[in-house]
Order: sequence, then C-alpha cells, then structure tokens
Amino acid sequence: MPNILEIRNLSKDYGDFKLKSVSFDLPKGTIMGLIGPNGAGKTTVIKLILNLVRKDAGAIRIFGLDNLADEAAVKSRIGFVHDTPLFYERLTLKSIKAQVAPFYKNWDENLFQRLLREFALPPRQIFARLSRGMKMKFALALALSHEADLILLDEPTSGLDPVFRRELLAKLSGIIQDENKSILFSTHITSDLERIADYITFIRDGEVVFSSAKDELLANGGVVKGGNDLLTEETAKFFKGLRRREFGFEALTDDSAAVRRRFGENVVIDKVTLEDIMFFMTRGDRRV
Amino acid sequence: MRNLILKDLILHRKFLLLVGGLYGAWMGYFGSRMGSLRVSIFLSTFLSCIIPLMIFTREDKFKAASVSCSLPVTRKQIVLSRYILSWALMLIVYALIVLIAVVIPGGKVKAGDLLSTNAIFLALALLALFFSILMPLLVRFGMVGMFVFLIGMQVLGAVLLFLAARKILPFSLKDILASIGRALASLNAHLGGPGYYLVLFGAMLVLSAASFSLSVFLFQRKDL
Amino acid sequence: MDNAVEVKGLGKDYKGFSLRDVSFVLPQGTIMGLVGPNGAGKTTIIKLILNLVRKNGGEIRVFGLDHLQHEAEIKSRIGFVHETPAYIEDATLKDLKTAIAPFYKKWDETLFRSLMAEFGLPAEKKFKKLSHGMKMKFQIALALSHGADLLVMDEPTSGLDPVFRRELLERLSGWMQDERKSILFSTHITSDLERTADHITLVDDGTIVLSRPKDEIKETWGIVKGAAELMTEKRRASFKGVRTTAFGFEALTDDIPAARREFGPGAVIDRASIEDIMIFMDRGNGHA
Repeated sequence: MPNILEIRNLSKDYGDFKLKSVSFDLPKGTIMGLIGPNGAGKTTVIKLILNLVRKDAGAIRIFGLDNLADEAAVKSRIGFVHDTPLFYERLTLKSIKAQVAPFYKNWDENLFQRLLREFALPPRQIFARLSRGMKMKFALALALSHEADLILLDEPTSGLDPVFRRELLAKLSGIIQDENKSILFSTHITSDLERIADYITFIRDGEVVFSSAKDELLANGGVVKGGNDLLTEETAKFFKGLRRREFGFEALTDDSAAVRRRFGENVVIDKVTLEDIMFFMTRGDRRV
Repeated sequence: MRNLILKDLILHRKFLLLVGGLYGAWMGYFGSRMGSLRVSIFLSTFLSCIIPLMIFTREDKFKAASVSCSLPVTRKQIVLSRYILSWALMLIVYALIVLIAVVIPGGKVKAGDLLSTNAIFLALALLALFFSILMPLLVRFGMVGMFVFLIGMQVLGAVLLFLAARKILPFSLKDILASIGRALASLNAHLGGPGYYLVLFGAMLVLSAASFSLSVFLFQRKDL
Repeated sequence: MDNAVEVKGLGKDYKGFSLRDVSFVLPQGTIMGLVGPNGAGKTTIIKLILNLVRKNGGEIRVFGLDHLQHEAEIKSRIGFVHETPAYIEDATLKDLKTAIAPFYKKWDETLFRSLMAEFGLPAEKKFKKLSHGMKMKFQIALALSHGADLLVMDEPTSGLDPVFRRELLERLSGWMQDERKSILFSTHITSDLERTADHITLVDDGTIVLSRPKDEIKETWGIVKGAAELMTEKRRASFKGVRTTAFGFEALTDDIPAARREFGPGAVIDRASIEDIMIFMDRGNGHA
C-alpha cells in the first residue's frame, strides 16, 4: 500500500459552502502541503479526515482502513496539531499529557520526554503561560509521541517567526525520513512549503484544482510577461491565469518550455512560486 | 468630545437600554418597598453609578482601549468624555429609579420624600462619592481591580458589623453614621440652609475634580 | 526629503524585557518592513509610536512633530492596524464604523463601502462573528478610508491567505503612488517584504540589528558557502553568523564584494534573503 491517505469523491454540504468530490492521495514517506484561499475548504477536509464532521459522500482510507469503520484504530495512529492548540489553559504540561496519553496504546513516554527537552518545554509550566510558538511545539510533541504515522497540521505556523518556522520545518523533514510516516500540512505561508513539501494540493471553492509534485510544479511552471498584442484566442490556451495590465500581461503557465517554443524571445518567463500559482489561479482570468 | 461620547453611546446602547432599563426599574420597585429612605437612596445611587462603570469594564474585557487610544484624541480627552458621559448616565438612571419608585402603586416612599432637597443632595453626594472613588480604581486596575475593591468593601463591612455586634469594637456602623450625621447637622446650623448646601456642593466638586485629575494621571501612564 | 517617522534612542523597560536605544528613520513616500523573532520588540515599537505604551527614553517624531505634544493631530493622519483586533465584540461593523468615522475629518464613506464590499465584509455582521482574517480586513478597511498619510500596521496579514495578501500588497503599492504617503508594517512573512518593502528594519532582543534600504541589503548581504579549510579565526570574525554544515560552513556576510575578494572562486556566495539574515543573526534567546 503506497498511500497512507486516500480520498475519493469526498463531499460535504454546508448550505452556503460545498465541498465537491474531493480526491487526492498522500503517499508514504512524504509531506503534502494543502493550500487554498480562506474558506476554500482546507480545514473542512482535515475535519472530515478526523471525522470531526460527517461526510455526505465519498471514501477516506487511512493506512488502508476506512476512516469511519475503523475510526478508533485509525485515530490511534494519527497525530493532529490544530492552529490554536486547545488544551485546558490552567493545567501544567505534565497534567495535560497525563490526560491525553492513556488514549494511545502506543504512547512512548521516553520519546515524549526527549521531545520536551528538545523543544525546551518545562513539564511543570502552565499551558496558558507558554508563548504561541511553545504551545505549538507542545501540541507537536504530543502528536509525535504515540507513534503516529500520519501527522495532520492545520495552520500550525501562523503568527510564528521565520526562525521558529524553519526549526519546525526541519523537524518535520526529519520525521518523514521514516518511510512509513506522512505529513499533511495546511498553511498560508507558501514559502515554507516550497522548502519542504513533496506534494501540493490546491483547493479552491470546495474543489481540488490540482494535486501534484511540488518540484514538477515549480520546474515546469512559469510567470510569463509580454506585450498585450501577443494575446489571442490561440495563445490563451497556454495560460492558466492571466492578468492584463497597461503595459502588458502577466500570466501563469504550467509548461514553460511550450511557452518558450511558441513565443521565442518575445516574452520574459520568470520562475514561479506557489504563491504565484495560487494567485493567478484564483484571481487570474482564464479567457483572453 | 462629542465624538467620544457618541462612540460610547453607539457601541453600548443595547447594553445600556437593557441593563440600565431593567435594573433601574427593578431598583425603583424594590427601593420603593424598603422601609428606610436613606437605604433606598444609598442602593439606588450605587446602582446608578455602576451602570456607566460597567460600560467601561466591558471595554476593558474586550481590550478595546487600544483602539480608543489609537484614535486622534488625547488620553485626557478620553477620561473627560467618560466623566461627562458617566455623570449624565448616572443622573438619568437615578431619575428613572425615582420615577418608578414614585409612580408604582403600593410603595412606602412618597414623592415628597425622594424629591426633597435633602434627599436630592444626599443622592448627588453619594453619586459623587462612589464615582470619584471607583473610576480611578477602574482606570488603574481595570475591571478586576474594581470588583476586588467592591467585594473587599463588602467583606470589610461584614467584618466590622460582626465585630460591632460582638462588642469587640467599641462602636458600630450606626455610631459612625450617626456621628457623620451630627457633624453635618452642626455644619448646617452654623452656615444656615443655602450656605450649607453650597459647602457640600463645593466639597463634591472638589472630590470629583480630584478624582478626575487622578484618573487622567493614571490613564496617561497606563501601558496598553 | 522629509521623514514620516523618526525614532531616536527609544527605550522601554518591561519586567523581563527591554527595548534599548532604538533608532531608525522612515523616509516619506517609502514602505518599511519591521521584522524580527517573536518577542523581539516589534509590537512594542509600534505601540510606542502610537503612544499606547509610555516610553522610558528617547524621541519619536511623526511628520516632523513630537509624537506626544501633537498626539491627536498626528493620529488623525495615521491609519492603524493592530495585531489583535480589539473592538466591542457585540457591535456590528456598521456600528463600529459609525462610532469611529466622525473622528476623522477626511473620512471617505464611498471608499469605505467599496472596500467592505471588496473584502466581503457584511455591514450588519457582529464583530465577534468574524474570523481573525476578516477582523484584520475590517481594520484595514477602516485604516484606508480616512485619507491617512501614514499606515502603521502590526502583522496586518496574519491569518490571510496568499491571494488576499498579494492583492493587499498591490493595493498598498498603489496607495503609495502618492509620494506623501508612507507605510510601516511588521510581519513574519518575509516573502511579502521582499516583494514590497523599500526599507527593512530587523529587531532582535530589544535592539535594532539593521535598518537599511532593501536594495542595499540585496547587494551587500550574502551567504558564503565553502569547505571547512577555508574558514580561519580572522575570517570567522568578519562574518555576522557562521554555521557548520556537512560540507563545510555557511556564513552570513554584510559585505559581499569583500567576501568575494577574500575567498575568491573557492567559495560560493548567494544573496541572502531576509529570512536567511534573521536565521543567521538569531541570538537564540529562547523566544519561540
């Protein structure tokens, strides 16, 4: 079984928002970044994986098991870090651990203690007194200490400085050296994903726009800039998102080589970032 | 100034109408049924004072002071607007309480009693006293500090009553109030009616001014 | 050229933290990004400029005026965005606007309404019902609607998705076409700064580490990578930060030309990103 997580045609109707037939796979030993505009459905997808909300249709298989039929078995192997770690604020870290640990058969106390030391978290400290970054590290320590094979992180780094974020990313990269583990990570800070993600899934308006290997996206994609006179019905098909300006156009392509062949030196093709991709595919026009 | 006062009225209007209205009416009803005029005036003025203060404790709760202090106003202007607004609200709430007390049938209190010069003066003096003490506390220590003070006062009062009842203290609350009453009466006799009221009024002004200065001082030094 | 903001020798003492001798200048018509690790003092600096906290020493001049003596006048020309949006929770957005707009002589109701529409903010909604990102958008709408000459923003993009962030930055760039306007904003998302800032001020542990035009930083700050033998004590002292790697060393220099002359072809020199600078210069004071 090459995939830790398989999602097929997942749907959820909230009335004013619908998740429509979402499908993607998370292979073993990889990190996938989940990106998308606010309200696109990223958190909904994560909640559905954890069965915090009921799906209307579709299948979610984790570790080859159905996430509903084998809920307890599945959850014992999932570690979850929420964007606002929600623990009893007034308890010490020690007490919180004492509450959480018994739920997991595979709780590894030695590993937990090691992580506390590594993250410089004093066990007798009251949770409320920790800074936001420390709270996140604690949640991560808990998530990592029961041999979870799937780690889910929902906006874990918002509000945290680049120094800390880089530490966290290094830690996450270290985790998936174990080929049996995978990480799914939703975030707005796309530069972090460019650093460590293997795959990127882009969700917009409740649908998966793409789920691809990051390296391919960044290598083949490009931001094309040229004069407006170059835009015709025919050339429009090269672009996934287009913005006309006074002095020329800017557009996203997923095939820089093809664009280069078609336009030659008449256009500039800049390297693309994930942010460019999100931006052009959300705000760019798709017609000329 | 106008903008600051309007701002508070706009943002807290529901609270004021609901809480001010309901509590005011309740106090008017119960106050009219109490035996002692002085006690009802005491409680009514206290409630009237608390209503505007609660607006500011709400601001404290939401930490909205950082927005107010980012607006193009000085801290002194903010404090002044609060004093003006609070006095206006206190007088309105108190008037409401008196109205209800007088209008509702079956009350033990007569309009004449509540509206006599003495009663009005007592009410104003108590309003000035409560507000002048509580407002700087609120500014400096916030909502929590104000409540701690109020609860502390209640506890202190209970303890004093207890000690007095057990005769451990050589005097009781009644004695203290009686001696204050005597001092005021002798002042009245000395100065004559209008002079007496003038002096009391002056004292209230001085107290309020001192409270205002203190609040400004504290608020200017408060780190948000 | 006049300066929008001048800070000289600013100091502030808290229990357990102090800001010391902070000095920098924001020239009129420019955008300055304030970066630094969590707890470095960025929010404190912004609060000091707005006189939300009292300084213990130093001078702050805004639009050439002393920030205490001309407090109200200065603030009528400042649009502010706080890191934690703090408004009366029960109030509707309409109420908040009605309460706040009259304070500003140059209030532009049409602009405000169009911003609210563009940001997707319904006027009748209660403030407490908004997500963090929406609360930030509301603050931004207010800040842009009263003809301000200076925007002071603390983490204005936290919780906002990359698409909105880019649009906001584009809007701010457009706003800056008027040369009298200036912006000071703090952020953890250094890619945003790379995109739009003219000046970068890096704060760490209560002091200014550097405050320079971004272009100058790009020209002169770099990461030197080479084999271990190339590092000597003398050379080590010339660097701002050194790390050992599996292949040798990586070191931060603030003088690329000098480093080139010193190391010759033996070392690779890459331009340093703002994030790189922060990471290399991190004093590791356990902030996160």
